[in-house]
Amino acid sequence: MRAFTYTEPGTVTEAVAALAAAGPGARFLAGGTTLYDLMKLGVEAPAAVVDVHRIAGLATIDTSGPAELVFGGGARMADVAEDPVLLRDYPALAESLAKAASQQLRTMATVGGNLLQRTRCAYFRGGRPFACNKREPGSGCAAREGLDRGHAVLGISDACIATYPGDWAIALIAFDAVVDVLGPAGERTVPLAQLHVEPGEHPEREHTLAPGELILRIRVPTTGTGRGSTYHKIRDRESYAFALTSAAAAVALDADGTVTDARLALGGVATVPWRAAEAERSLVGQPLSPDASRRAGEIVFADAVVGTSNGYKIELGIRTVVDALRIAGERATQ
Amino acid sequence: MTAIPPTLRTERVDARDKVTGAVRYGTDRVPPGLLHAALAVATIAKGRVTSTDTAAAEAVPGVRLVLTRAGEGELASAGFLLGGGYGFQSLQPLMDDRIAYRGQPIAIVVADTPVAATEAAALVTATYETEQVSLDLDAEGVEVVEQAATLPPMFADLVAGDAEGTLADCDVRVEGTYDLPVQHQNPMELIGCVAEWEGDDLVVHEGSQNSGAIRHGLAAQLGIDAERIQVISPYVGGGFGQKNSLQPGTALAAIAARRTGRPVKLVSTRMQVFHNASFRPASRHRVVIGADRDGTMRAAVHEVDQQTSRHDLYPGSYTEITARLYGIPNFRGHQRLVRTDVQTPGYMRAPYEHPAAFAFESTVDDLAHQLGLDPVAMRLANDSTADPITGQPFSSRHVTECLRRGAERFGWERRTHEPGSMRAADGTRIGWGVALGAYKGAAVPAVARITASSDGGLRVEVGGHEMGQGIRTAVARTVALDLGVPAADISVVVGDTRSVPQHLTAGSWGTAGALPAVGAALGELRKALGLAADGPADVAAAVAATGQANVEVEATYTAPGQPPEIVLDRLRRGLPAAGGPVYPGFTAFSFVAHFVEVRIEPVIGRIRVPRVVSVADCGRVASPVTAASQLRGGVVWGIGAALREASEVDPRYGGFLNADLAEYTIPVNADIGDIDVDFIDVPDPLLNDIGVKGLGEVSMVGVAGAIGNAIFHATGKRFRHLPIRLDDLLG
Ligand SMILES: Cc1cc2nc3c(=O)[nH]c(=O)nc-3n(C[C@H](O)[C@H](O)[C@H](O)COP(=O)(O)OP(=O)(O)OC[C@H]3O[C@@H](n4cnc5c(N)ncnc54)[C@H](O)[C@@H]3O)c2cc1C
Ligand code: SF4
Repeated sequence: MRAFTYTEPGTVTEAVAALAAAGPGARFLAGGTTLYDLMKLGVEAPAAVVDVHRIAGLATIDTSGPAELVFGGGARMADVAEDPVLLRDYPALAESLAKAASQQLRTMATVGGNLLQRTRCAYFRGGRPFACNKREPGSGCAAREGLDRGHAVLGISDACIATYPGDWAIALIAFDAVVDVLGPAGERTVPLAQLHVEPGEHPEREHTLAPGELILRIRVPTTGTGRGSTYHKIRDRESYAFALTSAAAAVALDADGTVTDARLALGGVATVPWRAAEAERSLVGQPLSPDASRRAGEIVFADAVVGTSNGYKIELGIRTVVDALRIAGERATQ
Repeated sequence: MTAIPPTLRTERVDARDKVTGAVRYGTDRVPPGLLHAALAVATIAKGRVTSTDTAAAEAVPGVRLVLTRAGEGELASAGFLLGGGYGFQSLQPLMDDRIAYRGQPIAIVVADTPVAATEAAALVTATYETEQVSLDLDAEGVEVVEQAATLPPMFADLVAGDAEGTLADCDVRVEGTYDLPVQHQNPMELIGCVAEWEGDDLVVHEGSQNSGAIRHGLAAQLGIDAERIQVISPYVGGGFGQKNSLQPGTALAAIAARRTGRPVKLVSTRMQVFHNASFRPASRHRVVIGADRDGTMRAAVHEVDQQTSRHDLYPGSYTEITARLYGIPNFRGHQRLVRTDVQTPGYMRAPYEHPAAFAFESTVDDLAHQLGLDPVAMRLANDSTADPITGQPFSSRHVTECLRRGAERFGWERRTHEPGSMRAADGTRIGWGVALGAYKGAAVPAVARITASSDGGLRVEVGGHEMGQGIRTAVARTVALDLGVPAADISVVVGDTRSVPQHLTAGSWGTAGALPAVGAALGELRKALGLAADGPADVAAAVAATGQANVEVEATYTAPGQPPEIVLDRLRRGLPAAGGPVYPGFTAFSFVAHFVEVRIEPVIGRIRVPRVVSVADCGRVASPVTAASQLRGGVVWGIGAALREASEVDPRYGGFLNADLAEYTIPVNADIGDIDVDFIDVPDPLLNDIGVKGLGEVSMVGVAGAIGNAIFHATGKRFRHLPIRLDDLLG
């Protein structure tokens, strides 16, 4: 780990100013569970760290409003996961946090930092000698001919097949969340669906935030569909593991069981949080049956591209969709 | 289990200290003036270091020393533990320019703080000449070695009767080839040490299962008298075989401490523990079993290829148990070693027995299925009283009772035979599987010393290490029960070369060696104090009556048939001295039967293990609390090995890719269901006076087999590799 300067400003405005003043390569620090980890691995080496994790007001949670749910960028994962309104009305949001990482990590980590966590690709994290375009642009991609059981099958490029690892963003994108950010040029709002970018030729670029933009809050429009939702996460052990496949699914059903609204997003299978809009449309107006769910899953993976040992993710992903929609449907009728 | 009078019930004697954090592990030590070391490691898998650049590292503030090569005569190899030496491998880094595996240390950096040392170590760079690597059993360029032709007779192939000839005229033959992955022990406590010189004397604090080997190995490495070295391993934060020998970093820390004139602490990172310490090697097993139509097994062949390093031959003993699980009169074992470009592999809990039992018990299950026989009934019908290899009796063998009692506790009679025939209302597939395990009844020489004080205190020093298995508790309980004194009055000293000689504590022989020695010392104490030969005693009064403050006695224990002078001499020189399982007149094994339920959910197919019933025959149960914990822990390991754990190797790069606790998926609490354990608890009449056989290792043996068999019962699919993961069940 390289030496770095550390500042702890008292307000968000000061934080943005401090980061701008620190020059290129400076980073905000929240819970540190991604940033410190990567610094210890030598993958990130910021010259300056601006700590925002104690800024009053950045950690507010407000789920009482009629129009939207509001989560401060500095709110702790553990606190949001236990919010009673989420647990009752948006189980997918609560579960996406509760099934992430471990209780210790969730107590440290923030819902803002969570969105910007970086891939678990071992070649990325392992440093040299592994070729990795994300870590060292132009060096190649060791994963393509290597151990890719955890890698993505959707949204990949020749340059990078790394999976977006987070859970929370998957549930958020299904509910049309937006992110308010504050930067040197002022405040703006970014739809979550536009926050992350596929690797293309530049896997080192993962999101659309400008340098120095701070996530102030995440807002989710309220919807009755939230009640019939789940975050279904399939992994190599029952807890404390990243998703092999996951699905955030939500449905609203009318009196005779026809789907009137469907939300579907997938994790563990794509380079970015993956909203499955076409699959959603295929469900609306139909009864929610295993067959319809399977077709929806197949639509998601129609364009999937597999590598050496991640081909199972297609069938597992489809089944994850089927099972998630079943759970969502059961909750929608309760 | 035998009822224990409430007054003598012993919880773990150190439970409170552990829970409150009062226990001090090896590297918790912080002597004044302490410096911190870190290792820089090779980024190639094989070749030579052509140059190193340490300038950037030396420029880091607080750096005191960057050492890339030991000086002339400063450092020697300690030799390989199984080749007459003391080290986990013979290769000692920093002695020449050879790189034998990725992650091999190329420099040690010493600084005022761990942060500076770590930063500086990352700044050490090297240039290399690389060579072609061979990393797995099938890789081009591996070298295959016939074990029997190369190693001493104790590693010969086990043979009885005529396996091939008999197979030819058996009614049925079943055969399978099984692949088991590399695994890492991953104890919570990282490998590390604190080295301090007091003049010409060296003191090392290190969590180790073998303080004796560290002492004598360092003496050989540093060229000093072993008497000048003391090693203190007060508690081991998990060893599981990985801490059974001298680690290559310890001598480097000692040299760094000598050069800087300050105590030096070196703690490996988790990544380094994956690369610079032993691990469970990959192995491949071919098993053939021939039987009569009624299920009588008449012949078996078990052939094993096991990975080793280029520089050492880590021997295999896989067939030692498979030859004895049943009374199969015709058996042929065969073991080959495959040299690959890795650090030397070694012992990881049930090192041979877990893979061997998975392969063998899966094949036995295939046989039962093919013959339409109940797997428990068929096993019962094949039990044996004599050791098929030597023809001698077992010292004790309660396999039938383990199976019967386990089946009853589990409710086995409700099992329906056909695979896929048991389902829950929601479509969950249910499978019930059984498998046996065995582990040699080993015995190790040990010395025990008891000092009784007139104030009632009893200090017991004995060979052995506390690795969480509860040796302190077992010793304290033995003394408390014998003399009728409270466990609180007894202090137990283990893992300390300043007391009695310290043996390699592994292979489940720790307690089996310590307790008989303590038992003998108790006899000496009674004699010295003129007490009755047994029954409660007023030790304090008896000591006071001698007019002295303390009375000290010492006794030794050696295994049956072991020449005492020879093995005690080996013990005193820090060399492995264990005996067994074959003793004059008898053969000793511990046994276990595991019964497992798996549930495979509909749609996704995640495999869960809601309940396990395990019944062990480990002789007398020396400490009920820690024994139950050992057995449950072994089952947890088996669940991990069956369904979760594998160290991933990219054949282009070498080393291990998932080298941290997030990516190397050991089971978490949520993976573990109900584990119901029971013990036969009949003392073994021959192995030692106390009647104990080992438990720690046998606990794990067969669990993976039982899980694989349960998965077969649930699905009709036989998986011949581990771990069995949900991608295997798709399709
Ligand atoms: C062992 C382990 C297991 C894990 N398992 C899971 C899992 O199963 N599922 C899952 O979803 N996650 C998992 N995680 C990831 C974890 O959830 C994230 O590390 C965490 O949410 C990041 O939040 P943080 O506050 O600690 O961020 P930090 O580490 O402090 O920051 C992360 C990044 O975000 C930036 N940042 C932080 N806050 C802001 C802000 N307000 N505005 C702009 N930029 C900001 C930082 O500059 C940094 O680049 C795991 C992590 C670990 C270490
Ligand atoms: S998949 Fe992406 S992150 Fe992984 S090695 Fe390739 S470029 Fe790097």
